[in-house]
Amino acid sequence: MLTTSFVNIACTIINLLILYFIAKKFLFQRIDNIFMQRKEEVDEATKAADKATQEAINTKREYEKKIELADEEKEQILSDIKKQGYDEYERIINDAKKKGEQILIEAKHNAEVENERAKEVYAAQLTDMVIDAASKIAATKHSTQDDLELYDKFISEAGVSNE
Amino acid sequence: MKETLYEILMGDKALIHIPYGDGFFDIYKSVVVSWLVIAIVFFLILFMTRDLKVHNISKRQAAVESFVIWIRGVTGGMIGEEGYRYRDYLGTVLIFIAFSNMIGLFGLTPPTMDITITIALSIMSIILVEGAGIRRKGVGKWVKGFAQPMAVIAPMNVLELFIRPLSLCMRLFGNILGATVIMELIKVAMPLPVIVPAALSLYFDIFDGAIQAYVFVFLTSLYIKEALE
Repeated sequence: MLTTSFVNIACTIINLLILYFIAKKFLFQRIDNIFMQRKEEVDEATKAADKATQEAINTKREYEKKIELADEEKEQILSDIKKQGYDEYERIINDAKKKGEQILIEAKHNAEVENERAKEVYAAQLTDMVIDAASKIAATKHSTQDDLELYDKFISEAGVSNE
Repeated sequence: MKETLYEILMGDKALIHIPYGDGFFDIYKSVVVSWLVIAIVFFLILFMTRDLKVHNISKRQAAVESFVIWIRGVTGGMIGEEGYRYRDYLGTVLIFIAFSNMIGLFGLTPPTMDITITIALSIMSIILVEGAGIRRKGVGKWVKGFAQPMAVIAPMNVLELFIRPLSLCMRLFGNILGATVIMELIKVAMPLPVIVPAALSLYFDIFDGAIQAYVFVFLTSLYIKEALE
């Protein structure tokens, strides 16, 4: 019952080593490989997720900055447009004023010229009338009576033509 | 009954006779059965780890993965973090002893019932224990370790080098031998020749076999843990 032999003990030790080798190679290492691959995948996924989050934050910041800039630009454009509008307004008003003044001056001038012309016409008519009257007086024999009539007639004619 | 017991206890162990060296090279039956155990374990491992995948794993793979995690948890939990490198060996030993003890279910004599196998197992264990100690501390410190905590007990510590494997070997051998003998007696003595022996076989072959495998591995890992401290 208690007999044993060196060769069989050695055989069993070799058996155990073989079994250990088999278990290590075909069970533990294979499973370890799977676990390792899984771990790597998880690590990679985590890394990718971190990266994506970082990128998203960066992009958000960029856009916020851009939006801020756009606001500023908007203000700038609005104020520019307002200023331009005021300038245009000033210019138009000034133009209108200038034109109005010119028209007034021209009108005054025209009125003066017209007046001058009317005076000339009147003077010419008066001259004609005087000449006419003088010739009439010279042509007729005249008494005091006649002269008086003549004056009256002249005055009434002059009055008619002057009306 | 007597013949059966005689066959178990006193029968010729040698199965393969080698006509050289006057029986020195004869291969025992237990060694042949342990080859069978190794073959069974090998094919089981090959079958279970066939076509492993990272994703969409099959139920088979889930089972083998959780088995590996479980057995590593058992051995790693006993041995502690410092001895993690030895847990796969302990797991292998656990599997081997458990399968060896349970092969009685198929009508074969458990290899662990032969003292040859348990001697080999305990020699491996003590080599592993002391090897781990030397690897960890270096030879000088390992030798000095025998004189700790004081020089007086150094002989005790040296004796432990032999007591430990002896107790490991004898415990396993005695338990399995006892279980097998009791099972043989029960088979003869029980009035219902199938049901009661089957129920008791559940205890002596499966439960006791697993417990003894666990105890062997537990004590070995305890020694390794102690050696690593």
